Formats: sequence, C-alpha cells, structure tokens
Amino acid sequence: MKKKQYAVIGLGTFGYNVAVELEKKGMQVLAIDNDAEIVNRISAFVTQSLIADATDEKAMEDAGIADCDSVIVSIGESIDTSILSTLIVKELGVKNIIVKAASSWHSKVAAKIGADTIVYPELEMAKKLVDGIISPNILEQIELSKEYNLIEIVAPKEIWGKTIKSSGFRNSYGVNIIAIRKQILFINDDGQSDMKEEINMVPGPDDEISQNDILVVVGSKEYLAKLKEEK
Amino acid sequence: MIKEDSQEANHVELGKFYFLNNKFDEAIAEFKKALAVNASNAEAYYNIGLIKEVSNLHNEAKDMYSKALAISPDYKIARDRLNKLIGVQN
Repeated sequence: MKKKQYAVIGLGTFGYNVAVELEKKGMQVLAIDNDAEIVNRISAFVTQSLIADATDEKAMEDAGIADCDSVIVSIGESIDTSILSTLIVKELGVKNIIVKAASSWHSKVAAKIGADTIVYPELEMAKKLVDGIISPNILEQIELSKEYNLIEIVAPKEIWGKTIKSSGFRNSYGVNIIAIRKQILFINDDGQSDMKEEINMVPGPDDEISQNDILVVVGSKEYLAKLKEEK
Repeated sequence: MIKEDSQEANHVELGKFYFLNNKFDEAIAEFKKALAVNASNAEAYYNIGLIKEVSNLHNEAKDMYSKALAISPDYKIARDRLNKLIGVQN
C-alpha cells in the first residue's frame, strides 16, 4: 500500500513536532519553512524538507503540495501568511487541509477559504492545564462531543471496596465506567521497588473498585461536573 | 553502628513487605523509622514517593523523589519517576 503523503508548512514548535511525529508513524512527510536553519535541523527526521515561501504559489506547486493527501498549515506568527498559504493549498486541490489557528478570527477566515479542520493547540492545552489545576482528581479529559466527555478520575472514596454494580456509580452520577486503571507496586528484576499499571478494559458489574484506582469514565458534561467535585 | 545499619535495613525491608501487601500506612511508618535512624536513606524517601504516587498524591511523591535525589543524585529510577511526574521528555 502506498504511504500517505503529508506536508507541514511552518516549522515552529508545533509544526516541527507534527512533522517529526508523522514521520515516526511511517508517513511520508514534506516539511516546509522559510527559515533555512529550521529546515536544515528537521532534514534528518523527515522524508523531504524544503526552504520555501509558503505564499509563493509557484514554489508550493513545484514542491508537490498538490500530491499530498493532507497538508498542515502551522504558521503561527503571521495570520496573513497562514491565510494566504491555506488559500494556495486549497487552490492546488489538496483534499484535507488542517490549519493551526491563532485566534477566532483566524479560524473563521480559514474555514471560509476551505480549511477542513482547525486546531487551537495553545487554547486546548490551556483548558487542560486549568482543569488539572482546578480539579486535581481529574487526570485526563477528552471532549467527545459538545455534550459528552471522557475523563480519567481518581476513584472517589465512597466507592472504594465496592463493585461497579454495588457502587451505584451509574445511578448516582449518570456516567459509565469504561475502564479501570490499577497502579501496582512491585519489586523489579534489579531488586528495586517499582510501580506498574494494569488496565481492565472491559470492567464487569462485579469488578471491585479499590483505593487509588483510576476510573476512565464517559458521560455528559453536566453529570461529570458533579463527579469532579468529589474528593 | 552495625546494629543501627541493620535496623535501618530491616525497616526498609519491612516497609517493602508492607507496601507489596498494599498496607501503605504501615509501610510509610517503617520507611520513616529507617529515616529516623539515618536521615540520608535515599531508598526510604524513594519508597515513600512510590506509595504517594500510587495513591495519586503526585505533589507529595515529587517531594519525596526530590529528597531521594538530593541525597543520591545518581538514583536513576527515582529520577525517571520524578521526570515522568513533572512531564520531562526523555
């Protein structure tokens, strides 16, 4: 099967890491920036790297952007450049364009000119950080839809030692436990104390929730909010 | 001196025995006894750190790993755990 081809335009911290991670996943990656030093630095980690002006339509065409399955426009410092570059990529007929937006206006314009997906890594990370600070018992949070989230939460004290069924978790909080992570202490081969994790991916009603377990829970944001308040 | 050394080691071993049986309070008490004999026992701090981490008390775990590393900067497993909790990339 032919490898998928991706282009990343703009190799700031975000773009650089997207390009390198795509390559690590076995994709073909064309990395483009107008800064020779950055392009030189990434050259050992991607299929092809190129010093080019992302607002130069001819340069983008010559680079083979039109042949890419997806293009990620991750130009952070200049919204104008990002918009123009997105437009050029669209005109070249790329089917899937992902744009890193710096502001809501940026995202609106990017959507109007045909971006397929818009991401806000800084905003998303900021939200995650704030959730982590405000609710330290929430270890991870993924938005599944406008109404539903998946969260990882430290098992509330009141259900320690109970089975999922007897905990009444679903009735009390209106959410479902879809996995249980257990952290286990052990002595490793070097004779040192260590810890490992075991995950029960299909917890049944009779599985017990122990102290210090981490629950992976899916539910509506409204119900999950109640759970977040538990200690 | 020999007696103190052996007391310290016994408390650490007993602490490990307790923590393997999920008796974390008893384990911490033993590690603290080892530290009372020798306040520079990095292993005791590291083990308390592990118990704090497994109890999802990450700030306390970081504090314990840091104390272990202050005593023994080459304590690799303690360094790895602290880096993981802080989010340092390898």
